[in-house]
Amino acid sequence: MSKGKLTVVISQAPGKNPAKRALEENLAASLLMEPGIELSIIPHLYDLGPDHTGRLFLESIPGDMVVLAWLFPRAAFWLLDRDGIRGTEGQSPLHPKAEKDDEDEPPPEKAPGIGPVGEIPDRTIWCLDLRDHAGHQIYLEEIRRIGAEAALLREGRQAAKQATKPPAVITLGLPTQKKPAPEFTPETLLAPPSRRWYPVIDYSRCTNCMECLDFCLFGVYGVDGLDRILVENQDSCKKGCPACSRVCPEQAIIFPDYKSAAIAGAPVGNIGGLKIDLSKLFGGEDPMVVAAQERDRELVRDGRDAVGLAVGIPKRQTDKPKGPRDELDSLVDALDSLDI
Amino acid sequence: MQEDLWFTMGKIPARLPAGILYAKNHMWARPETGLNGNGLFRHGFTHYAILLMKDVYFLEWNISEGDPVSQSQEIGHIETSKAESGLYCPAAGTLVRFNAALLNDPSAINTDGYGAGWLFDLDAPETGYMNAEQYLKFLSDNWEKTQAMLKGKMNQIEDDES
Repeated sequence: MSKGKLTVVISQAPGKNPAKRALEENLAASLLMEPGIELSIIPHLYDLGPDHTGRLFLESIPGDMVVLAWLFPRAAFWLLDRDGIRGTEGQSPLHPKAEKDDEDEPPPEKAPGIGPVGEIPDRTIWCLDLRDHAGHQIYLEEIRRIGAEAALLREGRQAAKQATKPPAVITLGLPTQKKPAPEFTPETLLAPPSRRWYPVIDYSRCTNCMECLDFCLFGVYGVDGLDRILVENQDSCKKGCPACSRVCPEQAIIFPDYKSAAIAGAPVGNIGGLKIDLSKLFGGEDPMVVAAQERDRELVRDGRDAVGLAVGIPKRQTDKPKGPRDELDSLVDALDSLDI
Repeated sequence: MQEDLWFTMGKIPARLPAGILYAKNHMWARPETGLNGNGLFRHGFTHYAILLMKDVYFLEWNISEGDPVSQSQEIGHIETSKAESGLYCPAAGTLVRFNAALLNDPSAINTDGYGAGWLFDLDAPETGYMNAEQYLKFLSDNWEKTQAMLKGKMNQIEDDES
């Protein structure tokens, strides 16, 4: 990347949807004319295996970047994180992080997740969802805005560096040999990958409760040296099965290509934290039951026995103490005054 | 014109127009006439459902018009000021069309739930839907359980917060 330029990466939609291709192409055409932008195009981010040139290219980007994909920003960001492409999550007005829909009721501070492992490089990654808007102009304007923000961030970093500049003598040491960046041609970048299917953990929400590890019987999950949950064997995952995501109590497990938004990494906002889930009343099955059914289908397909709800189903809400509690009473009162 | 029925939820009455049908998942169904389809029903949320949900913020469908659907299949999602829920198909058939006007602005669900706030048209040969009296009885019979469930959910929310 040349100095002072912002890397913009367009991750193409899988398949050949002409409307999606048109948006990608129009955006690419206008970005090529844009000063201060280094543009690259890669296939669908989710499908890139570890050896794909597109992924190696992403890994080689040292600075700030904007990633435009047909994915929820939360899914794209944590997908990159899992691939070791890390930074601070950039915020974009195109999709505010948390919706303030109840101004009179500020959401309580959620117990934070365990966060990403290891050191986070001092750079920002903005993920934009190409499904948000049909026209390319709004993305172009947002990228310009990000370009200005990135320039400010860069200046701040340089100033900080200046301030903490080590004595000159140290810089006289041998310069560390930097590995030359491999050649990335548009052809190798765009080599079509095959479709993949695996969960992505949002570590800003994950509390390391291990319910996914207990639930999945296909060996997808494991723990690292620090006993933190991770998706150990992505390719052991069963195509189309999002069951572990339903079991996760924190909505921290994302299947970026799943059809329902909650599982595909839609902004979590207040959902689940503050709102009543009426799914059961409106005819939905208990998510645990759905998850067990989905898992059984895959077990049987593998020639194994279905286990139903017998294995790895968290026992929430059972033998919960029903003692008299003040807050509980007031909550029940609050419910009565909900105007229902 | 038959008179509307009312179900009292705590202090608030929910209006149940006579002459239309009701599904157990708290959707109403009105046979669509003049469209040749014998089993074509327009569906929407009952007043009861709307009173539980309050203001609708966001409505989303995850299937397409013309798709075949099975009973209880998850077909969408709704978020309101007080609740969120998956949306499930009340009968098997073909989802003919969605109310496109709601996708830009779902507020008609709250302002005119039995009219402009309709959700979708479903071609369903067999429905097992209830009439207003049966739905009223269904609501009364289940009210205690529903309250317990809602309070249970409230407890859970409280636990999440603490």
